[in-house]
Amino acid sequence: MAKKTYDLLFKLLLIGDSGVGKTCILFRFSDDAFTSTFISTIGIDFKIKTVELRGKKIKLQIWDTAGQERFHTITTSYYRGAMGIMLVYDITNEKSFENIVKWLRNIDEHANEDVEKMILGNKCDMSDKRVVSKERGEAIAREHGIRFMETSAKSNTNIEGAFCELAEAILDKTSGRESAENTERVVIDRGNGDKAPGYNKCCA
Amino acid sequence: MERGSNFPNAANAASTMATATATTPTSTTTTATAAVPPKRKTTMELVQQRFKSDEEVQLIFEAYQIIGQEHVEGLLTLVSSSKGGTYALVSFTLLRTPLTVSNDLKINKVFPINKSFQLTKDAKSSITQQQFDLSTDDERPIKYYYHPIKTDMESVDYEEFVAHIYSCKKSMSSAETHEEKVLNFRWLDDYREIGEVKQELKKRESQYIVYRDITIYCATWNVNNRPCWENTSSLQPWLARGENAPHIYAIGLQEFETITKIMMLNSNQLQMYTSQWIRKMMENLHTENGIEYEELMSVRLSGIILAIIVRKQLRPHILRCCIHKVPRGFLNAVGNKGGVGVSLQLNEANLCFINSHLPAHMENITARNEDYGIIENDMRFEEEGRPFRTISDHDHIFWLGDLNYRIQEPPGYQRPGPMSDASTFEQLLQYDQLRNEMRHDRCFRGYMEGDIKFAPTYKYDVDTDTYDTSEKQRAPAYCDRVLWKGKRIEQLDYNSVMEIRQSDHKPVYAIFQVQIKTRDEAKYKRVQEEVLKAVDKRENDNQPQILASKTVIDFGLVRFNEHSTRDFNVYNNCSQQVDFKFKVKDAPINDICEKWLRVDPCSDSLMIDSERSIQLRMLVDPNSITGLLRKMCTTRGKCDFDILILHVESGRDIFITVTGEYQPCCFGLSMETMCRTNRPICEYRQEEIKELMNDVSPEYRVTMPREFFLLIDYLHKQGDRLRGIFQSYDRRKALSAKFNDVRDWLDTWSEAEFPGTPETAAEALLLLLDLPDQALLEPFVKDLLISKSKSEAMELIALLSPPKRNVFMHLCMFLREGIERHDYELSNVASIFGRILLRSSEYAMTIDYANRCSEFMRRFIYIETSDAIVGGNGHGGATGPSLQT
Repeated sequence: MAKKTYDLLFKLLLIGDSGVGKTCILFRFSDDAFTSTFISTIGIDFKIKTVELRGKKIKLQIWDTAGQERFHTITTSYYRGAMGIMLVYDITNEKSFENIVKWLRNIDEHANEDVEKMILGNKCDMSDKRVVSKERGEAIAREHGIRFMETSAKSNTNIEGAFCELAEAILDKTSGRESAENTERVVIDRGNGDKAPGYNKCCA
Repeated sequence: MERGSNFPNAANAASTMATATATTPTSTTTTATAAVPPKRKTTMELVQQRFKSDEEVQLIFEAYQIIGQEHVEGLLTLVSSSKGGTYALVSFTLLRTPLTVSNDLKINKVFPINKSFQLTKDAKSSITQQQFDLSTDDERPIKYYYHPIKTDMESVDYEEFVAHIYSCKKSMSSAETHEEKVLNFRWLDDYREIGEVKQELKKRESQYIVYRDITIYCATWNVNNRPCWENTSSLQPWLARGENAPHIYAIGLQEFETITKIMMLNSNQLQMYTSQWIRKMMENLHTENGIEYEELMSVRLSGIILAIIVRKQLRPHILRCCIHKVPRGFLNAVGNKGGVGVSLQLNEANLCFINSHLPAHMENITARNEDYGIIENDMRFEEEGRPFRTISDHDHIFWLGDLNYRIQEPPGYQRPGPMSDASTFEQLLQYDQLRNEMRHDRCFRGYMEGDIKFAPTYKYDVDTDTYDTSEKQRAPAYCDRVLWKGKRIEQLDYNSVMEIRQSDHKPVYAIFQVQIKTRDEAKYKRVQEEVLKAVDKRENDNQPQILASKTVIDFGLVRFNEHSTRDFNVYNNCSQQVDFKFKVKDAPINDICEKWLRVDPCSDSLMIDSERSIQLRMLVDPNSITGLLRKMCTTRGKCDFDILILHVESGRDIFITVTGEYQPCCFGLSMETMCRTNRPICEYRQEEIKELMNDVSPEYRVTMPREFFLLIDYLHKQGDRLRGIFQSYDRRKALSAKFNDVRDWLDTWSEAEFPGTPETAAEALLLLLDLPDQALLEPFVKDLLISKSKSEAMELIALLSPPKRNVFMHLCMFLREGIERHDYELSNVASIFGRILLRSSEYAMTIDYANRCSEFMRRFIYIETSDAIVGGNGHGGATGPSLQT
């Protein structure tokens, strides 16, 4: 009964080791709030947020996954529907960064082939505890040809920017597809158009 | 029927309702005998399920709606909230009839019964069908229908319904006025639809709407059929008055050509005539530096033309232009009289311009009024895909034209003086038909007209300023007028133009300043963002949610063939009914849980504030042990028994981890694993046995598993008691009562006497051989199935791992002895053991699989005379250790 209040719906997924701040990133983005108490996500939560990009209202449905190791197998079944994946590590946690490779492999195995990916180095406000340099983050992203940003849910750094960039990348892909369809249609039209003058000539 | 004391004066209404609700259910609870399966819930109960415990459904009423062409079944329910102390009508759509679950009820509208609540009976009601409208606040009324044929015993009839609603409304509105308190309807928010962005934006309009002044210039002239090329003089005195260049011109002409001429001309010629006039208008507009005009749209009906000319810069802000014509005049259709209109949207305001030529002659007042009425009613601006707009749908309406109303002086009335004096006009206007008719609401209801400070515009001798000197001696009249309707319109000027003399009418113009509703884009963007945020937030907050009392279910120590149960609760802590289910997991599980678990219930609905217990039942048995051990071996780190996905419909998923410690047991372990143990299996922990299972080194502590040896040894010693065993084997069959004693006897390397019978020992032996992940004769099952002779098979057997090989040889020797003693039948034993030792899901489907298995076994356990000789020739030694070792 309710009418559609958006133009496009994008499904995004947040993955990464436990405790890197996935839920906080989502909470900051959707509710513009932050809490430092750690509550482990046991399952899959989602929030929606509508953003306007290039005049289009885009409803983002963002799935926040449990990061705990015991849930890794089960969370991979959620990769399939995602159009964009945020892969989050914690710049103060070496292990979470090392696991990026493992998470990327997981994406390759379970997600749609054309899924848009982005790596986020979270907690960039904690410079005194930093163990992963920004350069290393950039390097791994470059190596895999995907986007990268350092974020902080606490200080609200790059959170909105990251989601918008990912959404925009998906939008590019979708509109790219649309225009491809349009060109096809044009070609067909031209085919008909070519015939028409000939027919007219015969009549005349 | 308990209610808080804050319930405003509703005792009467409540008590009458109490009887209404209390009596009806009893009549339906008829003959529920024990034999009848769970009683179907009554409609009342199902409706009540949709509300919280402090909200009570007072009555239900069957009303339907017509949406589009469709007849939509529905229920109107009167609900009271003791927390809010208020009543509301909640309208449900029935998704399915008859109702069986409360989920088939979908809320489509909520009507708080407050002061503005209205139940209006429709005049079209009849005995067979009642129609009525419901409305609250500023929303549009919604129509409901009722057939006096009830399908549900509990529902009330129309009179009862109306009476209850009225009494509630009365008690509510008196509470509102007397106690001066605002009625609390917040409880209803949980049942309203999520506000849509558009509606929300409309509500917050004041935050982003600004009013922008624009000048609108209306002009009208009956040109008396004089073609415009005969009009050599400038029209600027008519069209370029006022201080500033207007934003919009609405210029109307009447009688631009005679009706006979118009009928003779073809459409191209007519178009040319019209264009010439419009060009002439365009040439005579205000001239101001930097301001250019363009024709937005023009419309012509016979001799009536209306041209809308706008500043070029304004053009992009104008949307939804459309025109319409209402022909009147000869046969009420020719259009020599009638009206034309242009509708447009400028920013957020709807503007409408009408040019009409109404019937002439002094006596035709009624005809003029009628034509006005018809134009007003029939003018419909239609756009594809949108509802049409009528004149009154516009914010600002300007009506100009030759309205033809005359000055009806009383008989013998002497005109007061020269036609140039303001006081003369004032006196004449007392007898103006239009003003008189408007005063009596007989035409132009709601329209305004500015003060007339000019001489009557009709009828002049052409090319003069002299009133009609012809024989007819028409009395002067204010035929040509400009009226308006709408808010925020100020007239700046209203006058006639004496110096334009080509017609028997003088042209008239009126200049208006109009405040146009406009969106402040920056503010709008901000409000839109806020609204989007609020709508998102509401959606996020209203997400159905449940709480699970535990997310880790610990079964403690889990033993083979012993079942245990654990419970946990799910609780609906959100403001709506929630459906939950356990999700089916991906392949290879393809089920909501692993084989060793059962979940009950798998799905259910939870009413608000209600709780449900979920039971998990764990049983590791012959059918599931293989899978569990495989999972243990392949999981990195500690292996959970399972992770269930508790899914909330349109909400989140909760992972329920099922964990515990599996007590290792010989059943299911491979021969190799058992040969690696150095103490009774019961002394191993799950992690330790996992390590042994994953060990691939060829080093073993014993030649064959002690557990196997002990079983064979026991059976071997039973002599006659073995008679008739190994009749059949089915892994799915329930295990015998003594089985767990045997299990413990084996797992503890017990010195005590065997606790079971030969039958339990046989059962245990078969399971011990059958339950390992790999069949005993793997990896050679395929080759052995096609082997042609014992010696060919023996070559492969020799390649098996030592524990497997020894078990096989020892088993064959034992079976052969039994067969020789005729304890059991060869064909049975060959078939049962053959299929266990050569178990293969890959080949089980091939036609002669069963035969091949039996055939293979037969070769090893049946000694024909010739074979016996061969065996006697020294080959027997190769069959392994004697049982007496």
